[in-house]
Amino acid sequence: MATEVYRESFERRTKTVRYIRFLEGLADTQVGPIYLGMWGALALFSYLLCVFITAIGFGEQVGYNPIRFLRELPVLTLYPPPPSQGLRMAPLQEGGYWQLATLFLSLTLVFWTIRIWTRAVANGLRPMVPIAFSAALFLYAAIYIIHPIWVNSWNEAPPHGLRGILLWTNHFSVKYGNFYYNPFHMLSIYGLLGSTLILAMHGGTILATLAYGAHREIDEIEKSDEGTHRSQLLWRWVMGFNATAYSIHQWALGFATLTAVAGALGVLFSGPVEPNWYLWACRAGITPAVQAACAP
Amino acid sequence: MLSFEAKYRQEAMEVPARASFGLLKIWIGRFYLGFWGVVALVFGVLGSGVWFWQVLFVDPNRTNNPLLNFIRGQIYPPPPEVGLSITFDGSKGFWWLFVVFCATVTFFAWMMRQIDISRLLKIGYQVPIAFGAVLSSWVTIQILRPILLGKWSEGFPLGVIPHLDWLSAFGYRYYNFFYNPFHAIGITLLFGSAFVLSLHGATILSAARKKSEGVTEENVNRFYWDFFGYSIGEVGIHRLAFWAAVLSVLMSNLCFVLSGTVVQDWSGFWNFWDYAPWWKGFGFN
Repeated sequence: MATEVYRESFERRTKTVRYIRFLEGLADTQVGPIYLGMWGALALFSYLLCVFITAIGFGEQVGYNPIRFLRELPVLTLYPPPPSQGLRMAPLQEGGYWQLATLFLSLTLVFWTIRIWTRAVANGLRPMVPIAFSAALFLYAAIYIIHPIWVNSWNEAPPHGLRGILLWTNHFSVKYGNFYYNPFHMLSIYGLLGSTLILAMHGGTILATLAYGAHREIDEIEKSDEGTHRSQLLWRWVMGFNATAYSIHQWALGFATLTAVAGALGVLFSGPVEPNWYLWACRAGITPAVQAACAP
Repeated sequence: MLSFEAKYRQEAMEVPARASFGLLKIWIGRFYLGFWGVVALVFGVLGSGVWFWQVLFVDPNRTNNPLLNFIRGQIYPPPPEVGLSITFDGSKGFWWLFVVFCATVTFFAWMMRQIDISRLLKIGYQVPIAFGAVLSSWVTIQILRPILLGKWSEGFPLGVIPHLDWLSAFGYRYYNFFYNPFHAIGITLLFGSAFVLSLHGATILSAARKKSEGVTEENVNRFYWDFFGYSIGEVGIHRLAFWAAVLSVLMSNLCFVLSGTVVQDWSGFWNFWDYAPWWKGFGFN
C-alpha cells in the first residue's frame, strides 16, 4: 500500500521536528516534518525565480542601493507592458520583467496546487483542499491572464508592487464605472463578509463548547455527542436554524468559494461584456439617480 | 424538536433566572423567546416596519422612485445643520434617527439573547462576544463617529444601493481608502478569514466519513505537516478563526473612526515615511 510506504518514510523524517513553546495551550506546537517532493521543488524553484526577477527589476529602479530599496519599497512597481505592445513579449524594462515574473508566479501556483493534491491523496484524504484552492487560482487567472488575453493587452493586468496593486484595484474599479455597481462584485463581497461571519460563528461556537468536546469534528461527524448537541441547540434557539457538524463545513467551503468565483466573473465581464457598471445599474433601475441620465 | 433536544430543554428549565436572563423561558416552535427575544422582536419589527414604510411609500413621492423598488430606496440622515440635536421633523431625518435607534436596541438585545441562551446551555460566551465585535462596528459608524464630528449627517443613509454610494464616496473623501493602513489590515484579515474558512471547511470535508478507511485527525495533521510544515490542530484552528474574524471587524472600526476626526488625507498620512529620521544617516533628506 502506498499509504503504508509513505508512513514509514514519515517516521524516518520526524528527526527534523521542532516545537514552538509559546503556542502551548493555544494551538499545536509541532513544526515539521515538511515534505519537499518533485512538485514542491518545482514550486520553490519557480517562486525563487519570480522573486529574483522582481528583485532585479526593483534593483534597477533604485540603482541597486539597498537603503534606497528599503525606503522606496512601498512604491517600487514592475509595470506590465504598455497597451501598444498588446500581447507581445516586451523589452525587459518596458514590461518584460513583469511578464517573466508573472509567468513564474503562475507556474508556482499551478505546481503548488498539484503538490497539495498529491499530499492530500498520499495522506488518505479527499482532494478538497486543492479543489478549494483552485477557486482562488481561478480568480488569479481571471485577473492576470484570462481578462488581459480577452481584451488583447497585458496592460490590463495588475503591476507587481505594494502600492501598484492597490492603485490597479482602484483604477480598474473606476475605469469600468465603479465596481460598487458590479453585481458580481456585490455577490463576491457578500461571500467575503459572509465568510467572515460564518468563520466567527463557527469559531465562536466550537470555542464555547470546547469543554464538551465539539472540537473533535471528524469524530463528531461520525457520531455527534454533547458538544455538537449544545452547539446545534445554541443556533436553533437563537435563529431557528442549525447546521450539523458536517454541513457547517459545506457552508464554509461554499461561501469561501463563492467569494473567489463571483469575483473572477466580475473581473472577466468588465469591458468585453459590460463597459460601465454604473450605467448597467442605472438601466437595471437600482440607482437613486434620475433615470433619464443613464440612457446609453 | 431535535431527537436529543428534550433533555437540554429540561436542563435549561433548571438554570435559575438572574436579572434579565432566564426570564420568559418559553420556546415558540424551534425558537427560544426569553426577555431579550421580546425586546429584539418588538424593536426589530418596529425598525424594519418604519424602514419599509419610508422606502416604499414616502421616499417614492420625493424621488420619483417606482413603488416597491426597495433596492434604490433610502432614509437620509439629518442634514448637517441639525447637528447632534434630536429632530422630530420627518423631512429632516427624524426617521433615520428612529430606525438607527431601533436597530441599535435590536442588535444589543440579540447579543443579550445569545448570552441568555449560552447560559441555559452551559457553554462559553464566545458567540455573543464575536457578535459584540460587529455590533461595535455599527455603533462606531452610525453613533460614535457622528458624535465625535458633531453631526448626525456623518452617518450612512439606510438603503441598499445608497449605502454603497456612501461607502464609495467616503473612501474618496479622505483622498483614497486604499492608502488607509487600517483599511489595508482590515481587508487583509477579511481575505485571511475567507482563506482560513476555505481551508478549514475543505480539510474537514476531505477527512469526514472515512473512518472505515482508518482516516483520523492524524491524517489531517500529517497532510498539513507535509505541505505547509505546520498543523495548527483542532482547537487552534477555531481560535485562529475567531480572532481573524473579530480582528477584521475591529480594524475596520479604526479605519472609519480615524477618518475625518484625526486624518483628513490618507495619502498625506504617509509623508512621515519619506522624512523619517532613520534615513538621514544615509544621505537622504
